Amino acid sequence: MTNSTKIRLDFRKRLGGFTLEINCTLEAKVSAFLGPSGSGKSTLLNCISGTLAPDDGEIVFGEEILYASAARINLPPEKRRFGYVFQEGYLFPHLTVAQNIRYGQPKPRKSSAAIDVLEIAEFLQRYPRELSGGQRQRVAIARALAMEPRMLLMDEPLASLDSALKERIIPYLHHIKDTFDIPILYITHAFSEAMALADEAFLIANGTIIANGEPHRLLTAPTAMPIAQLTGVENTLFLPVTASDKARGLTLLEIGDQSLAIPYTDIEIGDIAPVAVRAEDIIISLEPDLSISARNILKGTIQYLDVKSEYTWLSILVEWHHLAVKVTHAARKQLRLQEGSEVYCVIKASAINLLWD
Amino acid sequence: MRITAAEVAALSLSIKVALLSLVVTFPLGLLVGWLLAKRTFPGKAFLNTLVMLPLVLPPIVSGYLLLILLGKHGFIGRFIYQTFGIEIVFSELSVVIAVSVISFPLLVRGIVTGMEAVPVELENAARTLGASPIKVFFTITLPMAHRGVIGGTILGFSKSLGEFGATIMVAGNIPGKTQTMALAIFSAVHLGEDVSVYRLVLISTVVAFAAIWLTERFTLR
Repeated sequence: MTNSTKIRLDFRKRLGGFTLEINCTLEAKVSAFLGPSGSGKSTLLNCISGTLAPDDGEIVFGEEILYASAARINLPPEKRRFGYVFQEGYLFPHLTVAQNIRYGQPKPRKSSAAIDVLEIAEFLQRYPRELSGGQRQRVAIARALAMEPRMLLMDEPLASLDSALKERIIPYLHHIKDTFDIPILYITHAFSEAMALADEAFLIANGTIIANGEPHRLLTAPTAMPIAQLTGVENTLFLPVTASDKARGLTLLEIGDQSLAIPYTDIEIGDIAPVAVRAEDIIISLEPDLSISARNILKGTIQYLDVKSEYTWLSILVEWHHLAVKVTHAARKQLRLQEGSEVYCVIKASAINLLWD
Repeated sequence: MRITAAEVAALSLSIKVALLSLVVTFPLGLLVGWLLAKRTFPGKAFLNTLVMLPLVLPPIVSGYLLLILLGKHGFIGRFIYQTFGIEIVFSELSVVIAVSVISFPLLVRGIVTGMEAVPVELENAARTLGASPIKVFFTITLPMAHRGVIGGTILGFSKSLGEFGATIMVAGNIPGKTQTMALAIFSAVHLGEDVSVYRLVLISTVVAFAAIWLTERFTLR
């Protein structure tokens, strides 16, 4: 991305008891904001689009100041020229598809790259209520592109669609990324979408960015620390779902060559589940063959051992994930734990919580 | 039983006054309705109360208050008389003012109901697509609120046609000048002119029936 399409965000917005505090620069072609619902993602997008004014700070697109509290600048949304795709579509119900698309066009024209890319030419004369969910969302995306925006803001554009439809729309999004030379800000709670589309991902929770980076690296890097500080849970893992069994109440995640059982969730197979485990909920064993009810016995190696006044803290490498574990001094002595020891981490499935779904 | 000249005069005055009132109140009603449905501002509750007051007050009371305000010694009436030399009360203009005040809440109620049902998210979406607030109003808010707007307009117009209490207080009951349909019926009953009463009642009923039927047609499709 060139400097002219870089977007600098540095602002705060209070909404009720919640504060969104953002400080980052978006430079990638596609930036994804990834986080649970209620983390402030939509508020962020509304501040960028101009439909909501921050409390203070500034928002700069290239060289142009869109919002600056000190200079009392707040460009209205119609002057920002950012295409906004809403989760709910928000097509104008009293206008046909063609009229919806023409609504934001700077100059009226018959054909548009957006109509071709999203393959909606066949239902231009229909009304939104006559379209399926997937068609409606394609029209919403085409409408935002037809206004010839300087940037595309997408707020969970696939969240209202079922998984089969998502699969069908994602190629369109790739096509947009390749066809239109504008930066895209993509907001989602689904890891698969962020990984499929984004060049850079920002993890957002409780109104702040807690980590950012190239999406694949972000998910495997030990990002646990900043998240732990926020959630109070020491271990955060982002692991792909390999199987789910509703009857048995379990979902299996892949952790390297091993597998981790968690309480059943309807996250789709192949998608990433963000899970958290407290350090004190992990039991250390020297033996793998235990007749116990706990579902998970993960093999790992003690990397660090930190003897504090009350407890001993262990950092155990399981595949490439670090697990923080808290044990008593007595346990450390009895099991003769030291750095380099091979151990088994015993975790009850019910001690593993989803950060969000 | 031919309709008399006085009855024609009353009927045409009613229609003329209701139309004139509509010309004045409709744009104002759109503005006030939009403010009440879409904006937050200090004094909003007060504005709402002021607009809706004639709906709950006995029309006679509204008329009396207007008489005080518009009379030659009233707050507004004195100013108008001194500046333009026009006396408002007991004129055709006062009939227009009276029916406007009484019908305004019905008009605004319909507009507010219609506009409140237009999701602000759609208006915001239009803004992000480059539309100014005025363009949003005319291309999104107003078309989407059209049933409420039409309903309020028809109800307000019908109310204007048949208004009695406020009109008789401010405008009197001067045949050929300020005597509307409702006032003509009142006079006819008093004078015992039964045939005239029947004719006027029949005309009023037909007009009212048509108004309600049109409202239903446009709002409850």
